[in-house]
Amino acid sequence: MTDAHPTPDKTNVGGKFSRRQLLGIGGIFALGWGLAGTAMWWRRHERGRRADVFIGKAAGYDADLVSLVSAGLEELGVTRRQIQGKRVLLKPNLVETALGQAHINTHPALVVAAAEVFRRLDAAEVFVAEGQGHRRDSWLVLDESGMGRALAEAGLKFVDLNHDDVEPVANVGTWTDLEHLYLPKTLRSVDILVSMPKLKTHHWAGVTCAMKNLFGVMPGVVYGWPKNVLHWSGIPNSILDINATVRPTLAIVDGIVGMDGDGPIMGNPKPVGAVIIGTNLTAVDATCVRVMDLNPLGVPYLTQASGRLGPIHERNISQLGESIARLRTRFEVLDLPHLANVRRT
Amino acid sequence: MIEDWRPALVERLLHAVNDAGAWGYRTGSNGSAEPTALAALALATTGNASKRVAGALEWLARLQRDDGAVPISAEAEHPQWPTTLALLAWLRCTPPGAEIRAARIGKALSWVLHARGRKTPPDYAIHDHDSTLVGWSWVARTHSWIEPTAYALLALRAADQADHPRVREGVELILDRALPEGGWNYGNRRVLEHVLRPFPATTGVALAALAGEPREARIDVAIEYLVKELPRIRAPLSLAWGLIGLRAWDARPPEARTWLEACARRLIEQPASPQYDALLLLAGADTCPLIKTPGVQTDD
Repeated sequence: MTDAHPTPDKTNVGGKFSRRQLLGIGGIFALGWGLAGTAMWWRRHERGRRADVFIGKAAGYDADLVSLVSAGLEELGVTRRQIQGKRVLLKPNLVETALGQAHINTHPALVVAAAEVFRRLDAAEVFVAEGQGHRRDSWLVLDESGMGRALAEAGLKFVDLNHDDVEPVANVGTWTDLEHLYLPKTLRSVDILVSMPKLKTHHWAGVTCAMKNLFGVMPGVVYGWPKNVLHWSGIPNSILDINATVRPTLAIVDGIVGMDGDGPIMGNPKPVGAVIIGTNLTAVDATCVRVMDLNPLGVPYLTQASGRLGPIHERNISQLGESIARLRTRFEVLDLPHLANVRRT
Repeated sequence: MIEDWRPALVERLLHAVNDAGAWGYRTGSNGSAEPTALAALALATTGNASKRVAGALEWLARLQRDDGAVPISAEAEHPQWPTTLALLAWLRCTPPGAEIRAARIGKALSWVLHARGRKTPPDYAIHDHDSTLVGWSWVARTHSWIEPTAYALLALRAADQADHPRVREGVELILDRALPEGGWNYGNRRVLEHVLRPFPATTGVALAALAGEPREARIDVAIEYLVKELPRIRAPLSLAWGLIGLRAWDARPPEARTWLEACARRLIEQPASPQYDALLLLAGADTCPLIKTPGVQTDD
């Protein structure tokens, strides 16, 4: 509304302010300063999100991985009570196999060890499931990776998520424009979903660890091979949507021998000797990136996840077990413009 | 020797059908278009399961949308890539003159001819295939890949459309995506710095789709790749498609019967898997209805 007879504001003549106006302006500044400070604090502390991540050291796949995983869960405060009677799905990375290229996929020894730990914690059922991204033939992937034999010997069932019954679920993340995500019904029937990726560089996403590994829960019959729809929707945004919607429980990362260079399938073996475990996958991935001597703040899906799905800053992540510095191993990243920020500067 | 495992797989397939007349990817799972189409094709080769075959064809017809598309299942309206397999099953398995035949086939054919993979501008820094060629995609509005394109070619050849411009472009696309050392990946030849690896299943399905085309070097090296790879492979999907591809070029090794039997025996130890059971039956059939070769029985 406009005042018909406005009172001349004499105090503004010559740029002078009344005491009352000065107090008002000061109040506004103080309020703004306070809000800005709060926003900075909020951002710095990633909306108050904190997480613990455990790093274990294993010289090779013949190490006592059961003890290592067990120790990791204990340090993280995962109790028998939380596992007892639960259905546990272990989701390794089996994206593609090639004879003599074991470093592409999660090693069977770590998967079997993790299963043993959950069994000892009285899980009602532990099984392994994957919807591999490139190769449609699960039997061949299991044969060539050695995973099939290992699972059979350990009495572990394998479920092919690419060919599971599906159901649409509202996309909680909304980073992509996908209204729904079609998820395998098997996934919806488990209590605990454990992402068990390989520690690798990725020529599009920068890195692929616990969060990107969940591309493999998206059924190929719906999303194609490779998971075309997710690539068209943007890999970082798809990673975020899947994680926000699926809400994985835990990550156990195979960083005993990782892959650098042209990952996730054509890179080189990179021995690190690390197993990284955590209940917040964002924090786990940020830690993985630091172990790879790369920059988490240069990985787009991690900067987007910061504060919304978990913390990525070191100050908000409590490192348990081995220190990052002790296991840090420089991973080579392809010399591509979109990966420039991934390299630590 | 073959007779030992074929009846066992046929029995498994017959027992795995659900009340609606369809097959899922696993026993007890919801009916899906792909395993149902493959089961119909496989059972049709046995000549003594006509009721089940007819039931499968009817189930696929109920799944078909007004625009002709057949989605993966009743639970998911998209994607619709199995339309090609349903079309193939209807063409190969429906008795001539059946009432519903012409309508369902006509609509499916129209859908297949209109479905187009997404072109992308050439970017030789990333890949070196001709991304402007149009084939068929798994999902609408995504790029064309080998497997869906090959299924479309198999269906269109069965529909006597081998000279259709879409088929000619599909053939060109498949040949363009062939790996230099032989065979096919899921559809890329190179990504960034590296040439990709060939896969037996996609190589087999690509060779099957190219049946009838002039033989050339890219086909020869693909055959060589499969002949070298298959002796070690006892995974049903890869072995079956690999052998179907080799048969399409009259290059199936005599040992194939032994490989199939070993694979079938392995498969039979596991719970029924209609897709795999059907594919092994098709690979071991005297005449394979997936490919048009001299002597293949057709009812169209």
